[in-house]
Amino acid sequence: MSERLFEILLTSFPQLLEAAVRVTIPVTLGAFLLSVVLGVLLAVVQVADIKVLKQLSQIYIWIFRGTPVIVQLFIIFFGLPYVGIIIDAIPAAIIGFGLNLAAYNAESIRAAILSVPKGQTEAAYLVGLTYPQLMRRIVLPQAIRVAFPSLWNNLISLVKDTSLAASITVAEMFTRAQQVAARTYEPLAMYLEAAFIYLIICTILTWLQHVIEYKMAWEKPDGNRRKNIVC
Amino acid sequence: MLEVISVKKSFKDSTEHVLKGIDFKVDKGEVVAIIGPSGSGKTTLLRCISFLEKADEGQIRFAGHTYDMKTISKAHIHELRMNMGFVFQNFNLFRNKTALENVMEGLIIPRKMNKDEAKNIALEMLHKVGLGDRADYYPDNLSGGQQQRVAIARALALNPEVILFDEPTSALDPELTVEVLEVMKRLATEGTTMVVVTHEMEFAKEVANRVVFMEGGVIVEDAPAKVFFESPKEARSADFIRKK
Ligand SMILES: Nc1ncnc2c1ncn2[C@@H]1O[C@H](COP(=O)(O)OP(=O)(O)O)[C@@H](O)[C@H]1O
Ligand SMILES: [Mg+2]
Repeated sequence: MSERLFEILLTSFPQLLEAAVRVTIPVTLGAFLLSVVLGVLLAVVQVADIKVLKQLSQIYIWIFRGTPVIVQLFIIFFGLPYVGIIIDAIPAAIIGFGLNLAAYNAESIRAAILSVPKGQTEAAYLVGLTYPQLMRRIVLPQAIRVAFPSLWNNLISLVKDTSLAASITVAEMFTRAQQVAARTYEPLAMYLEAAFIYLIICTILTWLQHVIEYKMAWEKPDGNRRKNIVC
Repeated sequence: MLEVISVKKSFKDSTEHVLKGIDFKVDKGEVVAIIGPSGSGKTTLLRCISFLEKADEGQIRFAGHTYDMKTISKAHIHELRMNMGFVFQNFNLFRNKTALENVMEGLIIPRKMNKDEAKNIALEMLHKVGLGDRADYYPDNLSGGQQQRVAIARALALNPEVILFDEPTSALDPELTVEVLEVMKRLATEGTTMVVVTHEMEFAKEVANRVVFMEGGVIVEDAPAKVFFESPKEARSADFIRKK
């Protein structure tokens, strides 16, 4: 490797990392959080069979899964200002990715809710729980655990998809890589470097997945006793 | 104390009645065994009494009130359930909660008891069913017999007027069946009012005050346990006992 190339990689690495930490990761986490909360709501109104809301939820999922996320981002960032709604680029990215992913998460969560055995629901009613209590205390904790691998899978996809935010002027990590590549005429090295950072983030997330899955498990391989916990 | 009158029930996909007019009564402190061939409607009867299924017709009299089983309001169903325990064939413990939390749930949420008090009661009930040392275990780490005993503790903790058992040992191996039946016998001697659907004839003979024999959606015979097993009136009951 030439000394010049080494120099470029070395000085650009902290810059890319900074963009990752300041933009890519916050956008990812913000959007993911939004997508899970909204996903739970979209799933619950369907399972609970609440009139109107159920249909709205289905229409929502139909639209957000049926159109490209980049189009959704453009509508939010470039389109909405024409009806007087102006959102900064980063919040627009968080909202766009979050709304989009919510549609996918809703389907995973809905299936997970349906996988919780009906007998537990009956038992819950018989000890006196109401439907919302049953959902919050019995069904959703189990459903989230069941849905977790697929939610996390979506999170890992999202990390990489945030590069699309460049198209609505968000200066995320990949944009930085492009800038450096243009300035130094070293596209191969710069894009490999960006790829490397995405890979690191996703590796950490994969490792975290195992940690969280272990924490959430209620039958642990090592004898499984949570000590002194009450509710 | 608990009485149902002319209960009829059919399921959506058929016109034939699964329950064809059941009259059935339990007095305070009584243990009633419901027996009968499979498909005779025993589970459906318990589920109608606890409103897990809606009867097509019938009345229920419980704790001094009478309700129409078809038109009863949600609030009244809730009120009835607050005084009834139910133990399922397949336990149905909350999988995301420990044994202790399973037993506490009905106390702290619907009955709004404070946590310390609920925890004391729950521990006492777990001791009672022989599982004081398993309080922190999740259902997945308990044997079937242990899970069923937790389920019994969960029902007991709520101090219900009556506990309904639907074949509580049918999902268990013989050696685990014994530990559950032991607990139930103890409850019976303590005067707990119980309605037990069971195939355990020895248990019925030994523990029940009364036996109700069901077949084809009707009660064929309803007699004191001793009378039922020694000199059943109906030929079909006699037949059923002989085959067991
Ligand atoms: N959810 C249901 N839908 C349709 N038919 C049912 C349902 N539950 C029970 N049945 C029918 O009702 C009859 C009585 O069932 P059940 O009460 O479970 O009998 P038992 O508990 O005495 O074995 C059976 O013929 C069964 O097939
Ligand atoms: Mg049955």
